[in-house]
Amino acid sequence: MIRFNRDVRRRLKNRVMAALALACVALALVPLGSIVHTVVVRGASVVNPEFFTQIQPIPCSPGPNSTCVQGGIGNAIVGTFLLLGLSSAIAIPLGLLAGIYLAEYGKGPLVFAVRFFADVMTGLPSIVMGLFIFAAFQLAFPGIVFSAIAGGLALAVIIIPFVARTSEEALRLVPGSIREAALALGVPKYRVTVRVVLSSAREGIVTGALLAMARVGGETAPLLLTAGGNSFYSVRLDQPIAAMSLVIYNFATTPYANWNALAWGAALLLVLIMLGLSIAARFLLRHRFHEQRIRG
Amino acid sequence: MTRKLAAEKVSAWYGPKKAIEDISLDFEEHATTAIIGPSGCGKSTLIRCLNRLHETVPKARVEGKVLLDDKDVYADDPVTVRRRVGMVFQKANPFPTMSVYDNVAAALRLNGVRNRGKLDKIVKQSLEQAALWDEVKDYLGKPGVSLSGGQQQRLCIARALAAEPEVLLMDEPCSALDPIATAKIEDLIFDLKTDYTVVIVTHNMQQAARVADTTAFMYLGHLIEVGGTRELFERPREALTESYITGRFG
Amino acid sequence: MPQAAERKALEKSLQKLNENMVTLAELSELAIRKAIDGLTRRDAEVAREVFTLDQEVYGLQLEIEHTCIDLIALHAPVARDLRTVTTSLKITTDLDRIGRYAKDLSELTLQFGGKATGERADVARIREMADRTIKMVDTAIDAFVQRDAESVRNIMEVDDAVDRMHDEIFADLVRRMEDRSLDTEVGARYILVNRYLERIADHAVNIGLRVVYMVTGDWLPRVRAADRVKRYPK
Repeated sequence: MIRFNRDVRRRLKNRVMAALALACVALALVPLGSIVHTVVVRGASVVNPEFFTQIQPIPCSPGPNSTCVQGGIGNAIVGTFLLLGLSSAIAIPLGLLAGIYLAEYGKGPLVFAVRFFADVMTGLPSIVMGLFIFAAFQLAFPGIVFSAIAGGLALAVIIIPFVARTSEEALRLVPGSIREAALALGVPKYRVTVRVVLSSAREGIVTGALLAMARVGGETAPLLLTAGGNSFYSVRLDQPIAAMSLVIYNFATTPYANWNALAWGAALLLVLIMLGLSIAARFLLRHRFHEQRIRG
Repeated sequence: MTRKLAAEKVSAWYGPKKAIEDISLDFEEHATTAIIGPSGCGKSTLIRCLNRLHETVPKARVEGKVLLDDKDVYADDPVTVRRRVGMVFQKANPFPTMSVYDNVAAALRLNGVRNRGKLDKIVKQSLEQAALWDEVKDYLGKPGVSLSGGQQQRLCIARALAAEPEVLLMDEPCSALDPIATAKIEDLIFDLKTDYTVVIVTHNMQQAARVADTTAFMYLGHLIEVGGTRELFERPREALTESYITGRFG
Repeated sequence: MPQAAERKALEKSLQKLNENMVTLAELSELAIRKAIDGLTRRDAEVAREVFTLDQEVYGLQLEIEHTCIDLIALHAPVARDLRTVTTSLKITTDLDRIGRYAKDLSELTLQFGGKATGERADVARIREMADRTIKMVDTAIDAFVQRDAESVRNIMEVDDAVDRMHDEIFADLVRRMEDRSLDTEVGARYILVNRYLERIADHAVNIGLRVVYMVTGDWLPRVRAADRVKRYPK
């Protein structure tokens, strides 16, 4: 009799806990779901070819006697991609090298110091990074304080510690036996690191890099102080440059309907781009083994 | 008896802890030498000193000489040494991101060999030597880690052989395998000694009895006794050796 | 730990083996002693007891063989254990033979029964040879039981003396049969007795040498009786 009760109680508890966990998940998903829903609903209406090719229009609200040009955020799209590309090109190799140092070569107190500062930096407010670049450029290159290069550097400074730590973690996950096996074949250490360890860890490293890019893709604060924003198309490194996040910041709070619409469109596009980055990463990594056959 | 490899008064430390002390041991060419002893006696440490792998561990230290063809390996470049003295580990460790072919070809590729014809030839030869060719010849593109445990270990043996070493060190190669896989690898060792010098560390005394020409017994970092396998198992000289091999260790 | 458990089973088996070996050795020795005793006193009763003993010896020897095979199959013994098991396996043959010769001697006793023996001198010489033989068997068996290699290291020399004695007794018997001082039939039987004693001594030597191997691992070179005859030409 007693046994039977205990068993029933246990099963009941199990079910209750499972239900609670499910409820929490649903609760967590609700805001996410509602964000996505809102962005899609509000932004979809403005996404058309004009949206991608035109630059920002004269602000207006549609009224009885004035027609508003929708305009577009073409320059901001180009700007965001340029900034992302620039910052990644600078930061990812540097961050990766730092990660390799931390995981493979570091010995002694220096390693702990580097790791500690990297962790601290990943937590610093991004506007502080922007401020740092702003101030540095004020001193060194006053002419190009607001420029694409400044924006790129600000984003790079955010990415580097992040990539360093994620790369280090990914490299650490490679079992020591793999390194030993490669060393035992008479391969010099640097080649073991680059050709064997790195390729074993590439999933983790790529994921870390993409996460970093997704993170800074939507950064606004540092760009306020460095990229500056630009109403026109520009790919010059020494000129201010537009960005989608800046468009959202600037346009969403204005009273102009067409600008508001463009802001929602930009938001939708940003979300889709970040999603695209993740999917691309997964897809790229599927291509791991190609056919091998020995003839004869 | 030609002495291919020899340890001369080798001692090794992990940080402050001394793992092996003053080991002097000869390894005959084209023969199999087994090193037996209880866990922690230092046998793995010893063979890792033979191919200079011990020093890759942080804070590890080695003293003494290891002579390969009568030349001290510690006076030579470690990478060259490791090419001449290959190693197979306790748990099979094929490179996870590489196919069977790539795993075997790794030693050559990583050292700059690109000629596809040469790679093909050596991969086939090594897999044949490791008695694995027939089982994988149609699946060379499969990931190395998709093979069974015994096959993976033979893959690692093929990988080590592809580097064309002169000596092959095996650290308890069968301890994670079932009896059939073990038997295959023991047969392999029997054939390998024609072309290589084999040193095998094993927990399993019966295995040492089956495959080795010479057996050395280690205990607590010291070499207690070494001799022909038959003599050692029929009438060991040291009481400690006798206690260990008859399983009466206190 | 599995290792310790295996040793318990092995130890138990080894102990049982040793007990049986000791029993077998004692039975063999008893058989030979009784046979000699029966022969010298022409006691048919004692002679018949020896037949029973021989049967027991044979039965026990078979059981020991099986025990040894089981030990090898199950425990893969090495070193001292290996030598003990293989030695036991071989020694049982020698002990069984000793038992058989004891039986053969007792058969002769029964055949002698009632017939006049002739001069006591012959019996005395043979009695001496029998005593030496029994002593050799006793030494060898003691050495096995005590695991004492030293006491049997020079057992071959003792056997040389017994062989010489055998040759002398043989020559003497032949001479006495030729000059009719000894009844031919009796003489022929005594020749057999002489022969059996010499063979028993050889088996004692086998046992001794194997004990040396069991304890120390040394194989002492054994010169076979057939080869040795060539060293002592008539």
